[in-house]
Amino acid sequence: MFDVIANYFTNDWQLPILLSVVCVSIASGVLSPIVISSRMAFFSDAVAHSTLAGVALGLLLGLGNPVITMVLMGVMVALIIASLRQFTTLALDTLLGVAMAGSLAAGFLLYEYQKGYADLHSYLFGQPSLLGWMDFWMVAFNAAISLLVIMLFSNRFLLLAVSRPLAQARRIPVARYEFLLIVLLGLVVSLSVRAVGLLMVNALLIVPAAASRNVARSVRGMFIGSIVVAVVSGLTGLFAGDFLGLAPAPAIVVTAVICFIVSQVLRPFVGHHVAEA
Amino acid sequence: MATEPLLTLEHVSVSAGGRKLVDNVSFELPRGKLIALIGPNGAGKTTLLRAILGLMKHEGRVQINGRIGYVPQRLQYDRTLPMNVMEFMALTLQKRPVAFGVASRVKRRVLELLDAVGAKKLARAHLGGLSGGELQRVMLASALQDQPELLLLDEPAAGVDIEGEATFNDLITQQVREHNATAVLVSHDLSVVSDLTDQVVCLNQSLKCIGDAKDLLTAERIAEVFGGHKAVYGHHHHH
Repeated sequence: MFDVIANYFTNDWQLPILLSVVCVSIASGVLSPIVISSRMAFFSDAVAHSTLAGVALGLLLGLGNPVITMVLMGVMVALIIASLRQFTTLALDTLLGVAMAGSLAAGFLLYEYQKGYADLHSYLFGQPSLLGWMDFWMVAFNAAISLLVIMLFSNRFLLLAVSRPLAQARRIPVARYEFLLIVLLGLVVSLSVRAVGLLMVNALLIVPAAASRNVARSVRGMFIGSIVVAVVSGLTGLFAGDFLGLAPAPAIVVTAVICFIVSQVLRPFVGHHVAEA
Repeated sequence: MATEPLLTLEHVSVSAGGRKLVDNVSFELPRGKLIALIGPNGAGKTTLLRAILGLMKHEGRVQINGRIGYVPQRLQYDRTLPMNVMEFMALTLQKRPVAFGVASRVKRRVLELLDAVGAKKLARAHLGGLSGGELQRVMLASALQDQPELLLLDEPAAGVDIEGEATFNDLITQQVREHNATAVLVSHDLSVVSDLTDQVVCLNQSLKCIGDAKDLLTAERIAEVFGGHKAVYGHHHHH
């Protein structure tokens, strides 16, 4: 096991893998409390599913690396959902369900038409072992943007999560902040897909804060716990997956879910009291 | 200018979905008064408040000559969010992310504000664990952070037991008397009107009455308002 870990530091080709997983973990750990508190979990899942269409589009256009179209598609679907929400009377979960199923199915057809099933697995479940320095810089950018947005706007996102009317009364441009959060999520989700796969990326945005909320007594505790769970799961999943010869991204998600189950068990002993009302 | 009204409404109307929620309301409120804004359910009271706060498109003119504080109607919020009262208050008091901790300057300020509403001991309490009365004190403390000259309280009595309500009203009265602020207590029943109330405004889409509490609150009037809304419709006291 130690050899497996040591290799990530000594082998040139493994270092970007390790650093990429750390960056993806930091980005999702930092954003997770906001995603959960703002009830955006289903939304980020829909964006993740749409990225396959972006990949397929990139292939269709003959791009060697379809990352650009993938990110563009993710952000575009995020914007479409955000604006449709304003103009439709459909419930949000209905709208997201349609967008998710539709974009995944269309993406799959377009992909299959060009490449059959080749590499499909790596888009669905991620393929960290293929990550290079270019991928690292993308997810590093991802982590930096997430940290920056949290530094600048997390107080407002949290006030919005507590109560929209209260935030409005405090003269916070609510719609603008919701828009910002949506674009940010679209960006972060699509940039993380290559590392952890479109079926797994959303788990990383949900599980860390779901776990830390169980045991935290403060906003600070919730954020720290979420980052710890994300990074610990990221590294554990990567190393254990490698050691046992399993796919790393699902191993990361399973580790995070184990953290969640532990937090759920601990909750009655360390969590906060919630009023009945 | 001391004589200038704190709040002026001129022909304020709010419509939604082709229905007039607030119809041509005009009145002025002076400084340093305790005001009760009453009207039955659906009379447009919250809508009028939202128009005053600038959160709702309206016709007519709203002019406020001062800072404004708002205590929302019984707040629905995510009670499972791990956030303590100190952190909640700090969200609007510091630029630094509350996730990184609350600045000591802000801590002192929050304790000061909570102390002013007799809720200092709640600083470390979990926001989701507060009772109705405690939540209201916290919301009032939060609304007082900018030292508002106009304090709008939407249904402050909802979800509070009678005893809690009495002390809450005392707190508001204290703010009014000590800081020359004007507090507007909005309610669908007369419980917000106490012997400390200076002025009563009755609303039911349009303005139905406005005047000194002493004049309006005769036994006969109270009977009319409690007896049914028809009586309230019947009175037009434009000034």
